[in-house]
Amino acid sequence: MIPRLSQGLADLAGKLASGIAPETTSRFAMANTGMIAMLLGALAQEAERAVASRMTDISEMKDLFAALDADAGDPAQSQARREFLARQPASLALGDVEALHAEGLELLIALHAWAEDADADLNRKIWDFLLRHTERHRLDPG
Amino acid sequence: MHPQLQPLSEQLAAYLTRRWDEPVTVTSIEQIPGGASRETYRVGLHTPAGERGVIVRRDPKTSLIDTERALEYRTYEAVHGSGIPVPEPLILEEDPRHLERPFSVMSEIAGCQSAVATLFEPPYAEQRQRIGERKWSLMGRLAALDPGELGVTDFMAEPEHPAAHELDYWAGVIAADALHPQPVAQAAIRWLRRHLPEPSPRRCLVHGDFRSGNFLFDEHGDIHGILDWEMAHIGDPLEDLAWSLDPLWAWPERELAGGLLPREEAIRIWEAASGMPVDRAALRWWQVFASLKGVAIWISSTEDFVMGESKEPILAVAGWLMTDRQNRILVDRLHPASTHQYAEPLEPLEPLL
Repeated sequence: MIPRLSQGLADLAGKLASGIAPETTSRFAMANTGMIAMLLGALAQEAERAVASRMTDISEMKDLFAALDADAGDPAQSQARREFLARQPASLALGDVEALHAEGLELLIALHAWAEDADADLNRKIWDFLLRHTERHRLDPG
Repeated sequence: MHPQLQPLSEQLAAYLTRRWDEPVTVTSIEQIPGGASRETYRVGLHTPAGERGVIVRRDPKTSLIDTERALEYRTYEAVHGSGIPVPEPLILEEDPRHLERPFSVMSEIAGCQSAVATLFEPPYAEQRQRIGERKWSLMGRLAALDPGELGVTDFMAEPEHPAAHELDYWAGVIAADALHPQPVAQAAIRWLRRHLPEPSPRRCLVHGDFRSGNFLFDEHGDIHGILDWEMAHIGDPLEDLAWSLDPLWAWPERELAGGLLPREEAIRIWEAASGMPVDRAALRWWQVFASLKGVAIWISSTEDFVMGESKEPILAVAGWLMTDRQNRILVDRLHPASTHQYAEPLEPLEPLL
């Protein structure tokens, strides 16, 4: 049977919080057990969406980069962004997706620094992306 | 006594017997949860003079905050007796042979609470107004104290430009510890560099982490001890005030700073106690900085959890959950068209471009 990853983590979190934490014999152990249950809840939330949320970030960053004038920012950064547009993660394994995600974010950081001084509309679009990005990755483990 | 704490108990009794040159036995020992920067133990002692309680803080294998234990201990020594309530410092032992790692011993302030969650439970919930008044009054009084007269200038540097100094330090922490690019934090760092305030004409002892959760309160709403001075430094008087107002400390509470008082009331109490009017533009800078410093601490915590020897869950809670919340606060602060979902609009109210 292939484990249902997210559900399994959430169920274990629930068991730890309600079935095991009350049986611990010290406040320290109870607090740690509660924290671990909360973290398992966060992992359950993240496991379900980890690849999808990073791929959405990558796709939205590509949309931002593709809409730019060719001379936006310094030439080396422009070239790097063009190369990024053509790339896909080596696989859908999380590590491969994270590697490309990190490359995109580094390019975005450099572009944002340029846009703050040179392009108010682009600056606003990048902040809109960062708003969606943080909401996409928010953790509500309960 | 938990069996796992028996060896520590025996080591401590032997050490204190030698140190105080009198027979000391440990009658109880309990690890206190939530100590992210030090392992913290509440210890009951039997001595020839009678029973007494102490708090032992031992260096962990890895820490949420890279702190200097001697600086923290000397700060307790300087503040104790100044009118700002702190536990009495008793021993600083930096030789790791005694308890495997360096540690300090302080008198216990018994009968108090510190956890933020407790503020929302009876009988403390109805005392939140009074606790808040005491909290920001003490913070203002601390800001009014002269660092030279306190004696902290003997062991703390006095930066020429506190805001620039703090920003450089915490931006450096992010650069060193981030395991993934941080576009929100980097945008905040650039904003803070562009809007550096003039150095305040006043310098004070900054606690560095003066927030709900770091002081001891009782059921009557009195505060008996300000804790966790490991990030103390000489700096700008507005730094502690801004840190205490960050929305993170009462999350998801929006209206009450630290879950205690409306922000404007907290600021008025601080102004009255410190004798300093608040420069709102400077406070706005320090509030953005406070959220950026928070991100830096949580990023450092993540790095400690992933790369370090300790796998304490508090490091992951800080690293994963707090980074997420603090990033959302920063976007809320800095987005040119923020709807202020997580943080109040900062005065002056023009967009933070």
